[in-house]
Amino acid sequence: MSALPDIEALPALPPKPADWLFRIGLAIVITVTILAVIGPYIGPYDPTLTTVRVAQPPPSLLELPGLLKGWVAGTLEYPPHLMGTDVSGYDIFSRVIAAPRTDLMIALTANFLSLVVGVFLGLIAGYFRNFATELLMRVSDVMQSFPVFISAMVLVTLAGRSTSNIIIALAFVYIPIYIRLTRAEVLSQKSRGFVEAARAMGNSEIAIALRHVLPNSLTPALIQSSVTIGFAILLTAGLSFVGAGVRPPTPEWGLMISTGANTIILGEWWPSVFPGIAISLTVFGFAVLGNALERRYEDG
Amino acid sequence: MLLKYVLRRMSIGLVQLLGLSITVFFLIRLLPADPVSRLVGMNASKEAYAQAQAQLGLDRPVLTQLLIYLGFQPDVAPGLLQGSLGVSWVTGSQVTAEIAAYLPVTLELVTLSFLFAFAVAVPVGMLSALRPGGRADKGVFLYSLFAGSQPEFWWGLLFVYVFFFKLGWAPAPLGRLSPMTTPPPATTGFILIDTLLAGQPAKFVEAAHHLLLPVLNLAFVLSGPIIKMVRQNMLRALQSDFVLYANSIGLPRKVVARYALRAAMAPSMTLIGILYGFMLSGAVLVETVFSLGGIGQYAVRSVLAFDYPAIQGVVLVITAISLVVYLLLDLIHAAIDPRIAY
Repeated sequence: MSALPDIEALPALPPKPADWLFRIGLAIVITVTILAVIGPYIGPYDPTLTTVRVAQPPPSLLELPGLLKGWVAGTLEYPPHLMGTDVSGYDIFSRVIAAPRTDLMIALTANFLSLVVGVFLGLIAGYFRNFATELLMRVSDVMQSFPVFISAMVLVTLAGRSTSNIIIALAFVYIPIYIRLTRAEVLSQKSRGFVEAARAMGNSEIAIALRHVLPNSLTPALIQSSVTIGFAILLTAGLSFVGAGVRPPTPEWGLMISTGANTIILGEWWPSVFPGIAISLTVFGFAVLGNALERRYEDG
Repeated sequence: MLLKYVLRRMSIGLVQLLGLSITVFFLIRLLPADPVSRLVGMNASKEAYAQAQAQLGLDRPVLTQLLIYLGFQPDVAPGLLQGSLGVSWVTGSQVTAEIAAYLPVTLELVTLSFLFAFAVAVPVGMLSALRPGGRADKGVFLYSLFAGSQPEFWWGLLFVYVFFFKLGWAPAPLGRLSPMTTPPPATTGFILIDTLLAGQPAKFVEAAHHLLLPVLNLAFVLSGPIIKMVRQNMLRALQSDFVLYANSIGLPRKVVARYALRAAMAPSMTLIGILYGFMLSGAVLVETVFSLGGIGQYAVRSVLAFDYPAIQGVVLVITAISLVVYLLLDLIHAAIDPRIAY
């Protein structure tokens, strides 16, 4: 019986040769994911400990080969600060590669939570239409009309600036999107032939909703995930930037940019620029990936 | 017909705002924050704590607080029904007055950024739709994907570094006017308009100069999704029957392009509305970078100080403006697209 929905699910993601942009996006996402696992351990310095060298600029490109050679040979006094140090003496390179542990973990967990809750509620709201699900949609409307950044800031600050609270706040603001997407897809799927067939076979409504409609209604939500993860990284960084995110000395890109924001006006560009490049590339990578998935879905 | 539609939309909006006010009211009180100890300090005596609590009205039952906030007990304090958002716990002044002072800066910034982004995005999106799949189209696609996924505050800092520190073309990111300049008399609150009304062209130029980088900054981020949308809608319009017809009867390309543009703009209005509403609070990061003192920065200050009336007020006002913008753009949509009737 389950063969029928599988056949219908296949054309959603047809095997297609990946173009170069997609490969770049994929490479970025994989790199950041690997860094989220090993990043905090492979840097030359502990990302949460200060050094005695404060606000040291990064080495110029000309010095770089010599420094690297000396580092490998072990002739240096201390490991080089490849991206310089900030006003407190943190090694920026070690923190930039340790930050995915914070940023990506928050974004992935928050997205996963909102995906699970939103898809579940969207399935119920689309499949069973009654007073309760209408009310659910109205509540979801109200939630969606909240100004995103301000609500996230309010939730995090009033609940306490911890990583888990940031995850919950982000999940909260992204749930309505998934409810809406899944509900729309469920509405279009539930009048399809395979649902009728499943019903004729004597399946219960709940079994049809969970086993047949749900797997066929997941694609839009999964595609949205890639976009949401990117935005969640931006939101996490933005919250830290205004002082409503993770606490120092947690290595987090937005917090690092915010540390450097006070000195960039005096010409110390490196504490902000390097973590910014990291966010910029990461979110771009997720956007590319999301776009590629979206196009495949539309073509198929 | 139109009036009836507008009235219906506005009444739905009012119900939505009421739901939102009540949700926000309970939400911030459910969270484990203690605004009283934030105000009096951790080491305050029990008496001082109780006194502050009574002063803020937090000793009353929550439902009574809600009734006061909504304005059902005007003898205690004016509420929403009386057009009051309450008194800020930190500054002691009316929240409505504070928001009225901060809001114009944000509206000015966001509106100008939208106009700028639009002025760039429409021709670019059109050009790329005229030859889909071409080299220009691919470049534009890459740009819009990139611009739409950028941390705007970081770009703001880069702009400051390059245009202020390195080149010296832009003023220091220290507000709407130089710290030494006396602001024009506040007639509308929009500094660009106020300087003109007061007949101070030099200050107008100064204000515009201070707004240049923030507007470029926001417009850069906004241009991504807007270009993408214009391109998509334009492609759809160019493939439609009426364009085929216009081409087949031999209308000049310019005229056909104008027809197609009009048809492409109509569905774009909805997304513009959503983006505008999003930017009212999303501009907070750019406001922070350039110290503009807009509603977003007011929100940050209020949230960090646990100033409940101010938080409630900001959320309510921003949402209300978004709803009005949605309505206006739907009306414009209907005016452009003759198929829509209310």
